[in-house]
Amino acid sequence: MMRKEIKLMNAESDLTLDHFNDDSALIYGIGNIGRQDDGLGWAFVDWLETTSACANAEKVKFYQLNLEDADLISHKQRVLFVDASKDTAVDSFRLYKAESKMDFSFTSHAMSIETIMATCQMCFGKIPDVYVLAIRGYEWELQIGLTEQAKRNLNLASAHIYRTATAPSPKTDCCLQ
Amino acid sequence: MGRKLIIDPVTRIEGHGKVTIQLDDDNNVIDAKLLVVEFRGFEKFIQGHPYWEAPMLLQRICGICFVSHHLCGAKALDDMVGVGYSTHNLITPTAEKMRRLGHYAQQLQSHATAYFYCIVPEMMLGMDAAPEKRNVLGLVAADPELIKRVVMLRKWGQELIQAVLGKKMHGISSIPGGVNNNLTAEVRDRFIKGDATIPSIDQMLEYSMEGLQLFYDFHEKNRAMVDSFGDAPALDMCLVDDNGDVDYYHGKMRIVDNDKKVVRELDYHDYLDHFSEATEEWSYMKFPFLKELGREKGSVRVGPLARVNVTKSYSTPLAQAALEKFHAYNKGKCSNKALHTNWARAIEILHSAELIKVLLRDPDLQKDQLLVTPTEAMWTGEGVGVVEAPRGTLLHHYRANKEGNITFANLVVATTQNNQVMNRTVRSVAEAYLGGQAEITEGMMNAIEVGIRAFDPCLSCATHALGEMPLEVTLLDAKGNQIDERRK
Repeated sequence: MMRKEIKLMNAESDLTLDHFNDDSALIYGIGNIGRQDDGLGWAFVDWLETTSACANAEKVKFYQLNLEDADLISHKQRVLFVDASKDTAVDSFRLYKAESKMDFSFTSHAMSIETIMATCQMCFGKIPDVYVLAIRGYEWELQIGLTEQAKRNLNLASAHIYRTATAPSPKTDCCLQ
Repeated sequence: MGRKLIIDPVTRIEGHGKVTIQLDDDNNVIDAKLLVVEFRGFEKFIQGHPYWEAPMLLQRICGICFVSHHLCGAKALDDMVGVGYSTHNLITPTAEKMRRLGHYAQQLQSHATAYFYCIVPEMMLGMDAAPEKRNVLGLVAADPELIKRVVMLRKWGQELIQAVLGKKMHGISSIPGGVNNNLTAEVRDRFIKGDATIPSIDQMLEYSMEGLQLFYDFHEKNRAMVDSFGDAPALDMCLVDDNGDVDYYHGKMRIVDNDKKVVRELDYHDYLDHFSEATEEWSYMKFPFLKELGREKGSVRVGPLARVNVTKSYSTPLAQAALEKFHAYNKGKCSNKALHTNWARAIEILHSAELIKVLLRDPDLQKDQLLVTPTEAMWTGEGVGVVEAPRGTLLHHYRANKEGNITFANLVVATTQNNQVMNRTVRSVAEAYLGGQAEITEGMMNAIEVGIRAFDPCLSCATHALGEMPLEVTLLDAKGNQIDERRK
């Protein structure tokens, strides 16, 4: 399975948490723990905080991106967004570098990562390097707790981005606690 | 051949709604409805939970006006434990002022969201502008400096919510009988003076004034359209103090007619004695109305327009000046014009900022008397809370058994109160923009949405569910056969 997942990744496959381990970096978990696998983004941040991995980065958890997040990322040099993915093309997770793009498929309560980047550029005249860790989820009902498949994907994603970091060695199930 | 237009769902509102418009063979509007097709569930699943969980759980109905739900629930809990307004054994001044501060902060950021995200794009870019342009992202491209200020308004409001309620969303500061924290002088000064991350309160006032000026400029250029769009008569209702001025946190429910004559004033604990709710098989959202007057004459409007119609004055100078201008323009009568709601909302952004400025300088916020601890004998087991949420009058009513578990919960939210007047607005706009037209354009369809959006309806609150919000427009003939379909 892991070989297949790595195939889905692009040039960012070498990226590790070391890249984000200073105060100019932000790790942003997007989601809702009350909607089953939508809690993947928060679970990733919880795992970082539990293990003290990437301790120097600022960490944020929120339900969805909004316009003021353009201001938030404008103060950073590197940002890692972690979100659940419904994309069936993603077997377990995908790590990629995001590109700024004004996405007009806007609804009043959520904005895309690409649009936040474009807004940051237009309003604040600068833009950080932004990466996305998209972790595949499966169930989205009003219920607390990740599905077993989502937990497995979270472990795979965590182990991958953790693997060459200088922080303590990964425990593949630490994020499930 | 008659036909039916369907807008499903309406965009840039919270939740999932659908509009159907029935046209006859000459394209005259013969029927228009706003349908709410979400399922309601929160009132049921809260049953059996400990009473003190209600304000924490029920605020999760919404990601926008959660503070209102939290405070409304907290007021109901105050009643239940014997320290609420029904018992006249009140919470401490510090507790009430902390709640008010969070409430005003939420109104500031919620109104800023509705106004700048959902309404200003059409004001600045045009109702007929391409759909992919007439939204806040179109504004980002058109005026990034304006958006920077909008970002700061929202951010400032949310930071203040976090400072008061402990979290930016779904905080838990209000507890039965009071609150669990005050505001330190250091935190207070951050909001008064600003720092490297947030502007000062005076800058918030400046941005709020600029937001109001946007409406004045738009109104000046589009006076005929603004003053005729979506004219929908209704009674107006909001909470008022003893002077007849709006009080967003507590007061009597005052209902006035178009001449501002008071037709009913009541203690909100008696709400159910005065109101009934009609249902329709085509919508999950009910239609509240004053029993004595019946549904047609007794339906009320709530929210920004109702409040500026009802209130006699404001206690703060800038908002008072704006209110006087509004009242004079409408010649002392209530306005029924849908787009005047946006004017009212801009006034209330300013009013909220001024109220926050006054409260931030109140030394009671730094005092330690946070909680009134009731005795077991004071337990009543039933409570009603009402606040003026950004979208209008919000009511929570709970009962619990002697073990303290919820046995009954009823929520009457602003969007439900506005159900009848929103339907009237849809009908009015449909007649004006679609009636008799041979071809229905996307801009005409958007006019319907503009009318609904003026109410900033929260259909998730009204039915307590969540939904994705793509836009589907389906054109049906009189027999219900699909002729065309569009999706945004």
